[in-house]
Amino acid sequence: MTAPATTSPEAAPETAPTTAPETAAAPKALYVYGIAPAGIRTPRAPGVDGAAVRLLTGSGLCAAVSAAPRRLRPRRRDLLAHQAVLDELAAQGPVLPMRFAVLSPRTDTLLAQLRSDAAHLSRQLDGVRGCVELNVKGTAVPGHFADLVRRDDRLRTLALRTRRRPDYEANVRLGEAIALGVRREARRAAREVVDRLAPLAERTVQGTTDDEQVLSASFLVRSEDEGRFREAVAERARACGDRLALSVTGPLPCYSFVDPRPASPAGR
Amino acid sequence: MITYDDEVVCAPRAGTLYDVLELILDRGMVIDVFVRVSLVGIEILKVDARIVVASVDTYLRFAEACNRLDLEHDVRSKTVPEMFGSPVAKTVGRAGARRTARSLTDKVRDVLTPEPEHEPAEETEETETRPRGRAERPRGRPAARRRDEDDRPRSRPRRRTETEDE
Repeated sequence: MTAPATTSPEAAPETAPTTAPETAAAPKALYVYGIAPAGIRTPRAPGVDGAAVRLLTGSGLCAAVSAAPRRLRPRRRDLLAHQAVLDELAAQGPVLPMRFAVLSPRTDTLLAQLRSDAAHLSRQLDGVRGCVELNVKGTAVPGHFADLVRRDDRLRTLALRTRRRPDYEANVRLGEAIALGVRREARRAAREVVDRLAPLAERTVQGTTDDEQVLSASFLVRSEDEGRFREAVAERARACGDRLALSVTGPLPCYSFVDPRPASPAGR
Repeated sequence: MITYDDEVVCAPRAGTLYDVLELILDRGMVIDVFVRVSLVGIEILKVDARIVVASVDTYLRFAEACNRLDLEHDVRSKTVPEMFGSPVAKTVGRAGARRTARSLTDKVRDVLTPEPEHEPAEETEETETRPRGRAERPRGRPAARRRDEDDRPRSRPRRRTETEDE
């Protein structure tokens, strides 16, 4: 491992802020965590690259920021720091979380943005007030696979034919057909889950899925409904546990329920 | 029929990194007058976190289990545990959930620990902060790896070494 030699300069974030010279954007760039109503407590959690987090207030809003690191990378501890700061903000009330790695070139740019976009940002804060994001993921489980083969004539025929003439190709084809069936069942179960949960949420956003993770959906849930929502997930998990393994993450800052790009005309 | 403990099937988790990665990276606000730093490796990281597990090994494993099914006479429903012939399968639901966790975490970590030639500094940090055992990411062989992992957890360090040597 080549690490030790190169680690020390990188891993001394506490001492760095004053002497951070070559920030990509500008020396005074700020890392922005999120926007909340003015008057909240400054998060105590250390920010990205260990920098202290502070609040910039203007137009009845405040932005949680810290000095931008010299280099920003999707490091584990920085992703977690981003999340920790937002958790602390969210615990105090509504917050509009920024995506990871959003910088404002300068303090006055940020304050100008708060001013010019105040109405829209406040409206969005009202939209998530009293709510949390709960993220539900579902993974395909082959628990019913034997039933699937018995029930599905095509699979059954394929299985019997493969058994009579076993060879590599045939086995791959059979296995692929079964895997497909398992996924199809899991996806069906995932749709049922969303149908059951959506009525308990204010809003629902579906995320990207793949062959194994067939469900990834975020729900905007009123804080007081969180318990009920979790019970509903548990009930679904029991009902479809042989096809889909469910997990709930949250309460989270409402990442999925803010306009990605407010105010300014669609750029990029 | 397999039964699952409730807490196993649906264990609420505080957001670990892999659970929230997609949200942190893809959702949330971006304001145009601000700059979103383009992150080296982040596309790989996203793609990787969602890598498809379908592979020939998975298929062969399914076929193998299927070939042990009694399809001629529908005597009694064998359970998947018997099909897969290992104690692992008794807790398919749980294992499934944990595996995802593990495989995703591994992928995430692997990317967060970029290739030595690009990001040498990351190695130590990851070793310090990551709670789980280190595992390789054998592309294209997840099924085989999983079974090994579950049956013989102690074999992991050995395989890790192999991978690192590769």
